Amino acid sequence: MAVGIMIGVLALYVGVGLALVKVIKTEDDFYTMGGRGSTVLIVGTLAATYLSATTLLGIAGQSYTEGPLVISALGSFGAWVGTLLAVVYVGRKMKAYGCSTMPDFFDKRFNNKWVSVVAIIIMIVGLIGYGVIQFIGAGIVLSEVTGVDYRIIVIIFTIAMLVFTAVGGMYGIVVTDTMMFFTMLMISVVIAPILIGQAGFDQMKNLAETLPGYWSIAGTEDRHIGWSISQFLVWILFFTCIPALVSRIFPAKNDFVILKVAIIGIFFAPFMQITVFLAAAAVRVLDPNISDPDYAMVIGFLDYTPPAIAGIGLAALMASIMSTASTLFVLVGFALSRDLYERLFDKKLNTKESLGAARIGQIIVGIVVCIITIIRPSAIYWISIYAGSIFAVGWLPTIVASFEWRRMNSKAALASMILGVTAFVLVGEAIRFNWLPVPEGIDALMISLVISVGALIVAAFLTKPNEYELRYYDTMKSTSMAKITLNEFMKRPDGLAQIKRQYKQIYAIAIIMTIITIGVWGYLFFMLGFN
Amino acid sequence: MNIDVLILFFNATLVTIISCVVVIGILKKQYLPVIQEEENKQRNAQNNNRANETITNDPEQKEGVR
Repeated sequence: MAVGIMIGVLALYVGVGLALVKVIKTEDDFYTMGGRGSTVLIVGTLAATYLSATTLLGIAGQSYTEGPLVISALGSFGAWVGTLLAVVYVGRKMKAYGCSTMPDFFDKRFNNKWVSVVAIIIMIVGLIGYGVIQFIGAGIVLSEVTGVDYRIIVIIFTIAMLVFTAVGGMYGIVVTDTMMFFTMLMISVVIAPILIGQAGFDQMKNLAETLPGYWSIAGTEDRHIGWSISQFLVWILFFTCIPALVSRIFPAKNDFVILKVAIIGIFFAPFMQITVFLAAAAVRVLDPNISDPDYAMVIGFLDYTPPAIAGIGLAALMASIMSTASTLFVLVGFALSRDLYERLFDKKLNTKESLGAARIGQIIVGIVVCIITIIRPSAIYWISIYAGSIFAVGWLPTIVASFEWRRMNSKAALASMILGVTAFVLVGEAIRFNWLPVPEGIDALMISLVISVGALIVAAFLTKPNEYELRYYDTMKSTSMAKITLNEFMKRPDGLAQIKRQYKQIYAIAIIMTIITIGVWGYLFFMLGFN
Repeated sequence: MNIDVLILFFNATLVTIISCVVVIGILKKQYLPVIQEEENKQRNAQNNNRANETITNDPEQKEGVR
């Protein structure tokens, strides 16, 4: 029954994805859903994207083994703050500058083919690595749970994703993501409470008696605090500029939607993650002998919830994988066709050609990813290690300097991106093979970030921005989402009244969400924080 | 009291509070001055209209105007 419900829910996503092809009429519809994203849709797609197989399988497994605080107390906190920065800083600014994709920004800011090409290659490597590794893990787990052959599961995934990426573009992604978000929310509001209720808060706290360190940041492995702090920095830097999150803001209708998303969406980041990690601790009480901890949540769904709920749990797990992976594939598809092809060969495609090229790009990415996932080469793990961090060292210094520093130019961008990524790979390998002794817990990302920032500053001081770069910087400084939104609203007959209504509404949302957050986390702290 | 557990839930609360503070900061800095300016403009426009109406309704003023 559980598997039947899961398949039914997934078929619904695919059906909706197919139905959305009718609304795609222009390039804007395909890339940014024509700027029609409401608060619900943008919150949905953002939340669905940051809950991935890594959370539900990997980190949940670690919470089961080592305790729920190891990653969540600092590492996840970095991810939540990073998500906030991705929304209100990077995403909001890039949307104001009229970017449909993140590589658009590099193109507009520097008007330099090689900066764009290097930025796009970084994005393609990073996104494929990040997407494929989740896909492999989830494929293994779900093929075991459902009994369906691993290769068939992977092929079904690929076809299902291509339906709403190649057909519906960003429109399909945003709408299906929002549906998936509500399915995933079931884990936090229904399944986690069921599991925690069965285990009991007292039994969960008592795990620390048999597993010392279970309710500590160091965990049962007694990890060094430097490691936890490093995790915090890695996630905050990575999430701030990962295209999967930043590009969620581009379809937003206006700045008021972005500001509401910044409050509501950010609340859901910890809400959807901490509840999963606590549920994993509950599963530890209920079944302490799970040999592969990555299965903790799946076993929790199947063995400790009613079959219908378990089916929805499995569908939510699949949704978390599909939403994250489809987002990554659609972005790589856009990057291959729209960004790389058009820029590298200096070709300007018309609307029809551009949509066709983007779809072909997505199908190529889908096939490549499907093949890599089926082959499961060990090298893919090498890529995955660099996948997330590559954005932090390759893109972040350039993006921040581009926003804030008038002297920033294409040579500094190239130096920072190339040296940052190269240093990350070399330092990472040197640490792995013990050629480079580093204080415990320090990540290769920290060292390479210093190199990336250093290269940017030195190159910027040794060179000068050209006239175009200076002019675009000044244009950027006179552009903001607030100005665009105010102008748009003031053209309406009752514009000022509408602005004031939105202003009050956002204030009210801020107050309500603060009360909810204090209530939810205060209650859980009361139940788990006292002996 | 478990300080490590406190850190987790404090951070979870903090991130929502930070996002609220950031958003309210944006509203106050980028929207409130424009709202106040537009309200002043509307108020001045209304006052001018009222003053004009008073002038046109007052017979003595009408004479004066003539």
